Amino acid sequence: MNKKFLPLLAVLLIVSLILGACQPATPEATQAPRPTEDMAEPTEDMAEPTEDMAEPTEDMAEPTAGAVVPDATIRIWADDTRAAVLVGLADSFLATYNVELVVEEVSGIRDQFIIAAPQNEGPDIIVGAHDWIGSLIASGLLAPLDLGAKASEFTDLSLQGFTYSDGQLYGMPYATENLGFFYNTELISEAPETWAEAMEMGQELMDAGQVSYAMALAGAPTYDGFPVQTAFGGYVFGLNADGSWNPNDIGLNSEGEIAAMTFLREQIVLGRIPDSFDWDTAHTLFETGETAFLMAGPWALERIRASGVPYAVTSFPAAEPGGEPGAPFLGVQGFMVNAFSENILLAQAFLTEFVATHEVMQQLYLTGNRPSAFLSVLAATDDLDLAAMDVAGANAVLMPYIPEMGSVWGAWGSGVTLALTGELPVEDAMNDAVVQIQALIQGALAGMVNIPGSWQVAGAGCGSDWDPACPTSALTDNGDGTWSGTFSIPAGSYEYKAALDGSWAVNYGSDGLQDGPNYALELAADSSVTFTYDGDTKLVTVTIE
Amino acid sequence: MSTLSMQKIAGKGDSPSAVISSMLLRLGVVLVFDVFIIYVIANLIRLGYYTLSIPVIAVAIFVNVVLLIARLAPIRWMAIGISFMILFTIYPIFFTVWVAFTNYGDGHLLSKEVAITQILSQKFLPEAGKAYTWTAYRNDLGDYVLYLVDTTDGSVFLAREGETLTESAPGVEGVGELDANGIPIEIEGYTRLNVLAAAADPNLPEILFGDPENTIQIRSPSEAAELISLYEYDPELDAMVSNADGTVYRNLDGTFTSQTGRTVIPGFVATIGWTNFTNFFSSPALRGPLIRIIGWNFAFAILTVLTSFGLGLAIAIFFNDPDFPFKKLIRSLLLVPYTIPALITILIWRGMMNPELGVINRTLQNLIGFSPPWFTDQWWAKIAILIVNLWLSYPYFMLICSGALQSIPTELYQAAEVDGASPWQRFRRITLPLLLVAVGPLLIASFTFNFNNFNLIYLFIGGGPPIAGASTTAGHTDILISYVYNLAFSGGRGVNYGFASAITIIIFLVVGAITLYQFRYTNMWEEVSENV
Repeated sequence: MNKKFLPLLAVLLIVSLILGACQPATPEATQAPRPTEDMAEPTEDMAEPTEDMAEPTEDMAEPTAGAVVPDATIRIWADDTRAAVLVGLADSFLATYNVELVVEEVSGIRDQFIIAAPQNEGPDIIVGAHDWIGSLIASGLLAPLDLGAKASEFTDLSLQGFTYSDGQLYGMPYATENLGFFYNTELISEAPETWAEAMEMGQELMDAGQVSYAMALAGAPTYDGFPVQTAFGGYVFGLNADGSWNPNDIGLNSEGEIAAMTFLREQIVLGRIPDSFDWDTAHTLFETGETAFLMAGPWALERIRASGVPYAVTSFPAAEPGGEPGAPFLGVQGFMVNAFSENILLAQAFLTEFVATHEVMQQLYLTGNRPSAFLSVLAATDDLDLAAMDVAGANAVLMPYIPEMGSVWGAWGSGVTLALTGELPVEDAMNDAVVQIQALIQGALAGMVNIPGSWQVAGAGCGSDWDPACPTSALTDNGDGTWSGTFSIPAGSYEYKAALDGSWAVNYGSDGLQDGPNYALELAADSSVTFTYDGDTKLVTVTIE
Repeated sequence: MSTLSMQKIAGKGDSPSAVISSMLLRLGVVLVFDVFIIYVIANLIRLGYYTLSIPVIAVAIFVNVVLLIARLAPIRWMAIGISFMILFTIYPIFFTVWVAFTNYGDGHLLSKEVAITQILSQKFLPEAGKAYTWTAYRNDLGDYVLYLVDTTDGSVFLAREGETLTESAPGVEGVGELDANGIPIEIEGYTRLNVLAAAADPNLPEILFGDPENTIQIRSPSEAAELISLYEYDPELDAMVSNADGTVYRNLDGTFTSQTGRTVIPGFVATIGWTNFTNFFSSPALRGPLIRIIGWNFAFAILTVLTSFGLGLAIAIFFNDPDFPFKKLIRSLLLVPYTIPALITILIWRGMMNPELGVINRTLQNLIGFSPPWFTDQWWAKIAILIVNLWLSYPYFMLICSGALQSIPTELYQAAEVDGASPWQRFRRITLPLLLVAVGPLLIASFTFNFNNFNLIYLFIGGGPPIAGASTTAGHTDILISYVYNLAFSGGRGVNYGFASAITIIIFLVVGAITLYQFRYTNMWEEVSENV
């Protein structure tokens, strides 16, 4: 009986193999001829008939009647509001350039993109925030952009947001967003100049029984309380000489930050600010006239307007009269091009030639409810609140996009919560936060002293040479500020350096300086070598036996 | 003989024609299935999903074997279930285990091959190289001519593929009149393209214009330049060599790294052994609050099960009395918390407990002049969480206890009453032991579920309030799963799937061990029931 089934099974398998294998060929066959053969056809409809390159729209409009098959397709992932605008552009774009625009409304664009792009299933363009670029570039998912002469039509800060440390631009901005300082115009006649003045005004209103609090904080005051912190001189990351962020300089326990936290804690003790921090609560209290001030972003404008509370938006108060106003974080929204796109040049041209125009930028502004990043649109901003918010963001601090920023939020939030609720003295809370952030940035190997070099495989059995994380070549702490380790290394000539925390981020060369030159080690015979690292001089000494 | 055995397969008493038709039907099903599955497998392999194709092949073979071998007939009924289990449970488990031994995450998303291709496609402009603005012209054959303007000195050239550049002027080589921007309106035989029309040809950036020794490539809508590859790959060293300065970047755990620690982006997925696991256990930053979190995790899960089981049982006993008025209505109302999605319930409770605006706090403030700081004090936060979870889970226990109570024979109670047992003794000696036989495994399931009740903790309070002086960010109400979620996804440098997978496996081992241990207790209860 089984014997009968065997040939049957064989026939069955062969049939199904043939049938099954035939099919996958078809999609390829239909795909292949698209770009090349279309191009060979006479495509006069696409040729530019006149001299003016800057305004192709009118010139190109008429001859498209004969076009049936689009020459190419651009896929865009956008959130719901942006998608609506872009969909509206698709028809005129197809008519003008014979290029199809496919706009897909995607939520969680970033998370989807990092999965889809490496599989070649991502869109050509994504719409998102500038602080995505750090990790997306590190993962190799973004293509650089060159706006050419168009760059001068954008605000400097917005371009800076999309400029990576290699000096290249990785996104084309269209809008910026930052917090503004709201005050209730019925209660407050003139905007306060300093934070202390604002709180005094609040106290008077409280005494008069008009409000419950001067101001409420929307969430643990990290992002939402940043304008207070910057007014007093607090910061997150210091800047290197070239303007890039320095993750080794964390300003969350700086003098200014502690002054700001001490100030806020005093206000909480005085009952001018509630000791619970919640976005919804803070907004509702302001909208119902229970607080006089609010720090809020453009995303809250709609609900504040709907509440009917009389308000005005202005720049943030300073720490002292005449001082620099508090600076909010600046986020930049923009378009980014997928490095795996087959149409990188087309995607770039779409952005620079079509989107970077006054008309399109104006539409993005009208639906987006954010100050535009495009100078001509920004100058014509007719929403006074948005214009005021842009002014409040004039000295805004770009949200750092370096991956180290991911290590900051949690510890920062805990630190300010502990400081403001009085669980810990302000200084202790902020010092703890910085220690936590440093530990996260340095990673699991914090404290390791290693001697990465060409000797590691031969002398320490490491998996590879020049590995600052290899556990077997790490030195042990002598407890007196020096670290040492002894290894038997075969004869030969080697090079090495000193590296800390299991990474190359902090490493010292033979001059005892960061990123200095390699040490050389010549061994005439197999020897036992002791490396000793001095934590003060950052130098490595070697004894050979 | 053969008819006989066929009858055996198809079931006793069927006629031979029925046997054959049932066999044909089965073969037909197999045929259709195989065509479909081989189509799927071929596509998966074509698209490069090699790992995913393995479980699909396994399912294909399994289904064929089960349908074609008579002895395996009983398994046919489970074939669909087992197939889905392979695809959606076993494969993801293997995948998770594999990921736990890699550095998959932000910065290491690409496979090595893709990353190398990506790196090799990076171009740079050498110092002596020239950059131009370009305008493209195309003839009917699809050949391109570029009109180049040097960005530094403004001299102009015509460039064709593989030919040396020629200086250009109006009237030479068919170049027509210049427009206001100094670009020829047309070149004889060629039509001028605007940037977008030119860019619609994906091949254009690949074309090497000019002298083969010194080629010019288009790199952006505004620039064409004498670009050369930034890196060469050396397969023997497994290293990238920079064409700009000769630096060698060796592969170090998924990142090409130079001897001075400079790296080439992007990195790629590399297996890194036990590093993710050792990082979790060795890092002092992570060890800090761990014991505390595990302690609260157990307390939370056990207290939740005890309180919700206790309340559910109490209500069930209450309503077990047949004479209770409006029994059905009240019982239905008590089930309401169970029917509303937990997500919504949690957010509603969060709103009600809001210290400034919440109805609970306002009422308490007005009535007794005190409202608990639910979100800022660690003990009140823990109490709040237990209250919300009690609300969410007592109806479940009320339901199953009601059912289990019905199944306890009333004679037992009558006998006990005759023997003079007090109500407490009846409950303690009869109701509880018999109930636990039925409900015991569900208590364990509930414990396991609550041990990993991420939704509640994360949505209600986000793990807060923070623990003072901890070596890493953690909250008083953080349970293991919410704590490691923060570590793996929002606490570090972007998303780290490798580390997250490693932690998942560790949690699985912990929960698995607890469950195994508890099932031994259920065995004990079963013995009780046998004795009854």
